[in-house]
Amino acid sequence: MIELDHLVKRFGTLTAVNDLSLRVEKGEFFAVLGPNAAGKTTTIKILVGLIKPTSGSAKVAGYDVQTHPLEARKRLAYVPDFPFLYDKLTPWEFLRFTGQLFQMSEEHIRKTGEELIARFNLEPYLTKTIEGLSHGTKQRVAIVSALLHDPAVFVLDEPMVGLDPHHARILKDILKERSRAGMTIFVSTHQLSVAEEMADRIGIIHQGKLIAVGTREELRQKSGVQGALEETFLTLTAQEANLTEEISSKIQ
Amino acid sequence: MSKHTQTFTPVWLLLRINTIQAGRRFLDTLAKSRLLTLLILGFTSGYVAFSFWLFYRGLTFIERFPGLGTLLTERLLYLLFGFLFILLLFSNLVISYTNLFRNKETSFLLTLPIPHETIFRWKFVESLLLASWAFIFLIAPLVAAYGLTRGVPWHFYALTTVMIGIFVILPGVMGAWASMFLARFMDRRGFQIGLLLIASIGLITVTFFMKPEPITDDVIETRVLAVLDRMLAKTRFTLFPLLPSYWLTSSILNWAESAISTAGFYALVLLSHALFFTTLGTLFSGSFFYEAVSNVNSRSNVFSHWGWFQKLQSRRQKFAYPPGFVETFLRSLRFLKSDDVAILTKDIRVFWRDTTQWGQSIVLFGLLAAYILNLRHFSQQLTNPFWVNLVAYLNLGACSLNLATLTTRFIFAQFSLEGKRVWIVGLAPMGLKRMLKVKFGLATTASLILTLGLVYTSCHMLRLPLDRTLYFTFGVAVMTFVLNGLAIGLGVLYPNFREDNPSKIVSGFGGTFCLVMSFLYIVISIVFLAMGAPWARSGTQPLHLLLLGWSGFAFVSFLVGWIPFKLALRKVTHFEISI
Repeated sequence: MIELDHLVKRFGTLTAVNDLSLRVEKGEFFAVLGPNAAGKTTTIKILVGLIKPTSGSAKVAGYDVQTHPLEARKRLAYVPDFPFLYDKLTPWEFLRFTGQLFQMSEEHIRKTGEELIARFNLEPYLTKTIEGLSHGTKQRVAIVSALLHDPAVFVLDEPMVGLDPHHARILKDILKERSRAGMTIFVSTHQLSVAEEMADRIGIIHQGKLIAVGTREELRQKSGVQGALEETFLTLTAQEANLTEEISSKIQ
Repeated sequence: MSKHTQTFTPVWLLLRINTIQAGRRFLDTLAKSRLLTLLILGFTSGYVAFSFWLFYRGLTFIERFPGLGTLLTERLLYLLFGFLFILLLFSNLVISYTNLFRNKETSFLLTLPIPHETIFRWKFVESLLLASWAFIFLIAPLVAAYGLTRGVPWHFYALTTVMIGIFVILPGVMGAWASMFLARFMDRRGFQIGLLLIASIGLITVTFFMKPEPITDDVIETRVLAVLDRMLAKTRFTLFPLLPSYWLTSSILNWAESAISTAGFYALVLLSHALFFTTLGTLFSGSFFYEAVSNVNSRSNVFSHWGWFQKLQSRRQKFAYPPGFVETFLRSLRFLKSDDVAILTKDIRVFWRDTTQWGQSIVLFGLLAAYILNLRHFSQQLTNPFWVNLVAYLNLGACSLNLATLTTRFIFAQFSLEGKRVWIVGLAPMGLKRMLKVKFGLATTASLILTLGLVYTSCHMLRLPLDRTLYFTFGVAVMTFVLNGLAIGLGVLYPNFREDNPSKIVSGFGGTFCLVMSFLYIVISIVFLAMGAPWARSGTQPLHLLLLGWSGFAFVSFLVGWIPFKLALRKVTHFEISI
């Protein structure tokens, strides 16, 4: 469902994504972890078609996001950490707008919308304009609008930011359900507990490279450390940093 | 994916939601503040009425010029639309760049199943409207006044409206293309520097172009005709038949003369070009637009491939503890405390690093400086003391109006811009009250350098005696204090901590109120200063008028400058930081 093939992205002399290859299967929940400025968001931006890769390719549901952008985006939903919403629309008007952009029928928008609205407890806010909503409520509106057309691939960047524990739980449950029903989920997060609890596989990006990928157990074995995912993550990124330092000192 | 689909074109959907949004914004403004609505309505209708009267009187005066009246009016219109085209091009370039490449909605739409061409088309229309409406509003009274002086039939106004509507499309398309081209190949800083460079080159070209030749004794005998002749020669470039402004003006002028077929010909030339370039621009720009968006979001500094830049960057990465130039300079001013220096350094650095801020200031005051410096060429023609005085007062007004624009745009928003960070200073020992005083001091000092410099230069160019020079510089100094006090005061009294964008902060009630108050203050002050001018007494000016002028100026300055500032100081003393 998601295929990243030798993806490279350079910003001037800085290589933000360095020869990254990855395949995420249909119905798989994939979490990507990494320190700040590791290249996670850049990878996501390439995947959703916001920027072009310097080389390599990204495919969504078999469609290259550069050569067949419309086909890819019809099957994709993306929720960034600070999503854009039209301030002066009500949540329901915004949901209808996105549903209509995805060519859903009124009946379908209403049926799916009502179901998602109820699950995310958005009923009290449906007649209020979005500008007056809290960050967490806005985040819930963005997530509902993304799920409305039942995308084949759902990409989320820090989805839990601003959500209270109750709604974070609801989101986790829905993502798990959808994933079981065949939706591919690609989440970038700093919350290791989310990855640990939810992900089928976890990828760790460090300095633009995918340094490790596998199930929680596989990563643990690779790091050689027992315990929580935090230990595994810290050990793997530290190993990579030491390796990079060693190589650069040898070069010098 | 849904099996039950219905088709809505994305443009229709975008149009619908943006219309809903615009309608709600309008209703919100009405509901939130009737005073704001009244202020805006009063100010706009005041502008329309005043400018229409002014243009009508001006055009009637020109029309009476024996033998040349019609020719002068026509040339005026050619010039107006020629410069309107250039201004629209510049405006479209800047607004298109922001709207296409620095806009959150654009990024959002790019992730949806909407073709790049459609997104570009939508943003193009949006930018065109944003960039053009104000210019159309500004020139409308002139066109109406022209119609009235020529006694044209009603359909002249209908045709002119349609023609101007078509005309603005051309600079819109060109501006959008230029912005895409620049975005594709230049980074933001390079773009801003490039824009300033183009503006400077344009300014220098105009400065030299407008420079008159020396006037000989023979010419003085027939001075008026000679000046007119030169003026017509210098503006002949507006008659170049390939200019869109030429087609528009020719069409309007011929329609006013009832030469319908010639007017129709030029109207069709304009329409065909507008259609051709719009089709070209909106059908084939999608992929180039996407390339440009990707480049804007991907690019590091434009110089990053150069060795010297890489060395500079690596040097910068090594952290230097010694303070920079600004801080060192401010520390050398013994009367400033260390926390004052911290606030001042922060404000100066933020201003300097935001090119848009000083870029706009340079453009505004640069144009005024170019005009004032050119006064030296006219000083030998301005022999009548009445005109010399009038020009001096007009310069004082222009300088203050420019300053009012800047104080409203930048100084008013200062307190709100502290926004969520206001607690840093609010909880620091210096407190908000002293912070305001420091900000006022900085803003006023910077403004004084500009206004005193410009007004002194104006007086010098007009060869005014020392007493008058002192009078004007004193007047502008007081006005500078007042305008800064007003902007800072109202900025505190009407803060908006939710917005990070200064232009949105300014567009609220407080900003509009500040602008209107500043303009009214300037007009009233100049009237009082004119009444209180000591040299006017040598004529028929009675003493009580002189005293009334001075006391009126002092009173209105106190009222507009000191009271809002004092109220602001009182407000911040008990300010509750609830962010």
